[in-house]
Amino acid sequence: MNYLIELLVSGLAVGAVYGLIAMSFAIIFKATGLLNFAQGEMGMITAYVAFSIASATDGNPWLTAAGAIVFSVLFALAVERIVIRPMVDEPILARIMTTIGLAVIFRSGTMLVWDALPHDMGLAAGSALVDLGGVRVRGAQIGVVVALAVAVAAMLAFFRYSRFGIAMRAVASDDATARLMGVKTARVQQAAWGAAAVMSGIAGALFAIAWELSPSLYALGLKSFPATILGGLDSVVGSAFGGVVIGITENLVGGYLSPGLKEVAGFVIIIAILMVRPYGLFGEKRIERL
Amino acid sequence: MIQTQTQAAGGAAPPLLEIRNARIVYDHAVEAVREVSLSVPQGSVVALLGSNGAGKSTLLKALTGTLALEDGEVEKGAILLDGEDLGRTPTDRIVARGVSLVPEGRRLFANLTVEDNITMGGHLKGAADLARLRAQVYDLFPRLAERRRQIAGYLSGGEQQMVAVGRALMAEPRLLALDEPSLGLAPLIVDQIYATVARLNAEFGMTILLVEQNAMQAMEIADTVYIMENGRIVLDGPAEQMRGNLDVQEYYLGFSGGGERRSFRDVKHYKRRKRWLS
Ligand SMILES: Nc1ncnc2c1ncn2[C@@H]1O[C@H](COP(=O)(O)OP(=O)(O)O)[C@@H](O)[C@H]1O
Ligand SMILES: [Mg+2]
Repeated sequence: MNYLIELLVSGLAVGAVYGLIAMSFAIIFKATGLLNFAQGEMGMITAYVAFSIASATDGNPWLTAAGAIVFSVLFALAVERIVIRPMVDEPILARIMTTIGLAVIFRSGTMLVWDALPHDMGLAAGSALVDLGGVRVRGAQIGVVVALAVAVAAMLAFFRYSRFGIAMRAVASDDATARLMGVKTARVQQAAWGAAAVMSGIAGALFAIAWELSPSLYALGLKSFPATILGGLDSVVGSAFGGVVIGITENLVGGYLSPGLKEVAGFVIIIAILMVRPYGLFGEKRIERL
Repeated sequence: MIQTQTQAAGGAAPPLLEIRNARIVYDHAVEAVREVSLSVPQGSVVALLGSNGAGKSTLLKALTGTLALEDGEVEKGAILLDGEDLGRTPTDRIVARGVSLVPEGRRLFANLTVEDNITMGGHLKGAADLARLRAQVYDLFPRLAERRRQIAGYLSGGEQQMVAVGRALMAEPRLLALDEPSLGLAPLIVDQIYATVARLNAEFGMTILLVEQNAMQAMEIADTVYIMENGRIVLDGPAEQMRGNLDVQEYYLGFSGGGERRSFRDVKHYKRRKRWLS
C-alpha cells in the first residue's frame, strides 16, 4: 500500500513537471499555431540560470525564484522577437524546423556556458525531505504540484474571465477576424510566449531541485509534448491533465511491471486515446457551420 | 423609410470614406481591383453591388487594413477616411477611428459564447463602456440576450448574422461596412437584418457601406449604388435612378453571358431556391 502511494506521489510530481511544460506547448500553439520544440530547452536554461543565481546568493530562494522568472520572460520575448516573429509569414514547416534548430543551439549553448556535469541546485529548502503521513517527498516535489495547481487555476480564470484571455481564444479561433476587432495579435502572441516561459521555467527549476540539474533536462520537453497531444493541442488546461496522467502511468508501470516499460507506457496510452478521440481529451473540435 | 441625408452643398467637409483610383493586387500579380473610385458621404447608405469575384471584398479588406494578411496591396490610388489617406494604418487604429466590418461569411468565433463574441467587438473599449454597449446590442437584438451563454457556432444562420452585426456595433462605428450580410439566409431573416441596418442609419445616423450580390434589396435601402464588375465600377448613381433601370442592372450583375439570358424574375426565383437549400 505504502509502495503504491509512493509511486502515485512521485508520479504526480513528475507529472506536474510534464503538465507545466505541456501547458507551455499548448498556450503557444493556441495563440500562434506554432509548436515550439525548444520549450524543454528553454525550461532547462531557466533552471541553469536559477542555479547560477542560487550559487551567487548563497541559496536565497526568493531572489532565485524572482530572478529566474524575470529571466525566463525576457529570454522568451527575445527569442520570439528576434527569431520567431520575422518568420511569421513562412510556411509552418519552416517555422517548426526553426524551433527544432533553436533547441539544438540551446542544448549545446547550455553546455558551453555551464558544463555537462550534474549539479545540486544548492537550495536547501527545496531538496529537504518532508514527511507527508509516512510518505517522504522533497519540498520541490510539493512545490511543482502546487505550481501546476496554481497555473491551472490561473489559466481557467484567464481564459474565462479576462478580456485578454478571451481575446487569445478569439485569436486561436480566427486571428484575421480578431484583428478586425482591434486585437493586436503580436501582443497576444508575446503574452503566450511569456506565460509559456514562466511555466516551463518553473517546471525545469523545480525538477532540477527535486532531482538534479544536468543537460539531460531538455528531455523533459520530449516527454511533455505527448501530454499536450493527449490533453488536446489547443487545450491549455487539458495539457496539465495529460501531464499528470502520463507521469503517474509511467511510475506505476515502472514500479509494478518493469522499469524498461516505463518510457513506453505514456506513449501507449496516447495512441489508445487518440484513436478514440483524435482531438485529444479536451481539444476543441472545430465547429463548422454556416 | 430612410431619409436621404444629403451633404451641405459646397461644404468643405470631405466624405467619411473616399476611395480614389484604387488598384489592388494579390501576390504582386493577381489584379483584383483595377481602378475603383467611390465616395461614402457621412450619414448615407451606399450599396456596392457586383457578382462573385468582382473585387468587393478586396476593397473592404483594403479599407480595414487586412489585405497584407493575404499578400494583398493597394498598389495605386488611396483610401481616405475623413479625407486622410489610411496608407498602412494598422487595423486596430482603423477600428479606433470608427470603421467596423461585418465580414463575409460572418466569421464568428465559433467556440466562444454569444456574449464573448459580442464583447470581442468592443475590444478597444473600456470596461465601463462595454456594459453600456452590450445592453444596446441586446436591445437591438433581444434574441441574442436570450442566447448570450450559448456557443456561437451552434446558433442558426440568422442568429449568427445578428451576432456578427452586434459584434461590429460594439466598436461604436461611424462607418459600418457589411460584406454580403444576406448570404445563405432565408428571405425573412434577410428582411430583419436589412430593417436593422436601415434603422441604424435612420435613428443613429450611422453611415453604411453595404456590399451585396443581392441587388434588389440592397438598392431599396441605399441612397447611392455602385455596380462593380471585374475590378471596376461600371455603373453608379442615386438609388432611385438605378432601381428604375432593371435591364442595365441585370446586365451588370453578370447575367449577360452568352445567349441564355434569363429574365430577372427567373433569376430571382433561382436565387431564392438556392438560399433555402443551403
Ligand atoms: N487572397 C487572395 N489571393 C489571391 N487572389 C484573391 C484573393 N482573394 C481574392 N482574390 C481574387 O480577387 C478577385 C476579387 O475577389 P473578391 O474581392 O473576393 O470578390 P467579391 O468579394 O466581389 O466576390 C477574385 O478574382 C479572387 O479570385
Ligand atoms: Mg466577397
